[in-house]
Amino acid sequence: MEKAIEVKNLTKIYKGGIVAVNNISFYVNKGEIFGFLGPNGAGKSTTIKVLIGLLRPTRGELFLNGVDIVKHPEQIKRDTGYAAQETAIDDRLTCLENIYLQGRFYHLSREEIEKRSEEVLKMFDLFDRKNNLALTFSGGMLKRLDIAEALIHRPKVLFLDEPTLGLDVQTRQTIWEYIRNLRRRNQMTIFLTTHYMEEADALCDRVAVIDEGKIKAIDSPENLKQQIGGDIITVNFSEVSNGKIQKVLGEVRQIPQVKKVNLGRDKIYQIVVSQRGDKIIPEIFSISQRNGININSIRLKRPSLEDVYLHFTGRTIQEKEESRESLIKTRIMKRKLRR
Amino acid sequence: MINLIVDSWWVAYRELIKFFRQRTRLIMVVVQPLIWLGLMGNMMSGITNNPIAARALGAKSYLDFMTPGIILMTVLFGGVFGGLSIIWDRRIGYLEKLLASPINRGAIPLGKSISSMIQGAIQVVIIVAIASLLGVHFQTGIFGILLIILIAMLFSLILSGLSLTLASIIKTHETLMAVVNFFMMPLMFTSNALFPITVMPKWLAAIAKVNPVSLAVTSIRELTIHGWGWREILPSLSIIIILDIVFILISQFAFQRETVE
Repeated sequence: MEKAIEVKNLTKIYKGGIVAVNNISFYVNKGEIFGFLGPNGAGKSTTIKVLIGLLRPTRGELFLNGVDIVKHPEQIKRDTGYAAQETAIDDRLTCLENIYLQGRFYHLSREEIEKRSEEVLKMFDLFDRKNNLALTFSGGMLKRLDIAEALIHRPKVLFLDEPTLGLDVQTRQTIWEYIRNLRRRNQMTIFLTTHYMEEADALCDRVAVIDEGKIKAIDSPENLKQQIGGDIITVNFSEVSNGKIQKVLGEVRQIPQVKKVNLGRDKIYQIVVSQRGDKIIPEIFSISQRNGININSIRLKRPSLEDVYLHFTGRTIQEKEESRESLIKTRIMKRKLRR
Repeated sequence: MINLIVDSWWVAYRELIKFFRQRTRLIMVVVQPLIWLGLMGNMMSGITNNPIAARALGAKSYLDFMTPGIILMTVLFGGVFGGLSIIWDRRIGYLEKLLASPINRGAIPLGKSISSMIQGAIQVVIIVAIASLLGVHFQTGIFGILLIILIAMLFSLILSGLSLTLASIIKTHETLMAVVNFFMMPLMFTSNALFPITVMPKWLAAIAKVNPVSLAVTSIRELTIHGWGWREILPSLSIIIILDIVFILISQFAFQRETVE
């Protein structure tokens, strides 16, 4: 598959010696939605800013559609669209004025801007509000306008830094839908960062777990979850003799995907399977029936990306964000980035 | 080069849309000189009854003397907006958006300066109109007025250069305002904008003579009260243009330095 982004051994050290990104390598395929998952200060925004030519890398090679990002920043800027974490809309301009100026900054002609702004504003359901001041827009609308603006010059790769940060659950899902549509209709390559597990899970084809400037794992959300241990089936057998249950469990252990069986309290057993727990459940049923045991209840729990994150970084994302040290680090970083 | 100019225009265009949209600010643009000229001019009108004062002012009425000062004062304070809007843009993330687009980086400070210049020109036109209504007669006529506007615009360029340079070092509105005022007030009151140099104590007169505000005021006053006194105007104008170039370069340098990482 063709690669839209290729990063080899990228390191970014800010003035003052803060290592934001530490020797990371990854690639993004064309037409893929690729996500960076990690807490604040992990190096997500820095990576994006290096990729769109806003920051110079300290070390490393970066290519966008085969073009060297460091050597040809002008072309990179034309080929990439960027919606920052902070929604950068001038709220004292109207929706249309905002997008018009954006088009002018990308050297488009008036005709091109008029045609394309209608197209993208319709795509993001903002066309009816085009003459309203951005001041009157809700958070979700501002974010949509921001993403719409990033599309005015028809970029090949779209970068979204925390696209749903601070939005409520419903609005977040609407934004996800727009992002999915974008990929479906325009075959666009999308690189996004997030610290919401659900977001990475719902949107991304592949996810890189990033923590303290290093990539801890890259794979599809499905595979990442499997890597850390697979599904857990919790079975509650109806009241029968222990011997029969042991016989059933013995047979269950014979199923190749079953990794181990743990005894819980009150005859509740936890069966850990390497993959596709949903396919194992019928087998467990038939084994039980053959042995004349009834099952009261059965539950399948698949590991979440939350578990994945915990597995690879040793902490939950919340813990990570609450630690004081990282808070200070984030603040320093933010101040740096604001320049 | 063409890109730099075109990009600067779109940066300025954004500021101008907002300038014309802010009704209160537009009203203030008219009201402020009206108060200054109407009230101050009227208050001080008796001063020219005193022959010594009249000679020191070199004008028939205090209003004639004061109008150039008011023009400069308005432009002086308008120049601050360039720096303020950069700080604002940095805060809302707009600056980053501009930097991520393929526009010429230099167009960002230059565009802000151009917008300040145009706003300054509009304000000068209003002041000239009000002053004319109050009886100020511009000796050099329409061409003189055009030159006055040009001088004011060039002067505002120095100020926006200064405020943009400061804005690349200072990151908050409050501090920038404080620092800019620290420059503005002394610049204003050590100039001949409101009082003639001849009545100043020696030390103040020495400062007033080299104060760039005085240079601009002298040129404009020459055009307002006396006529085409090129011997007064040309040297001042050349120094203003040199200062323009210096401050544009400094602000460009400061801006490039702070945004390239």
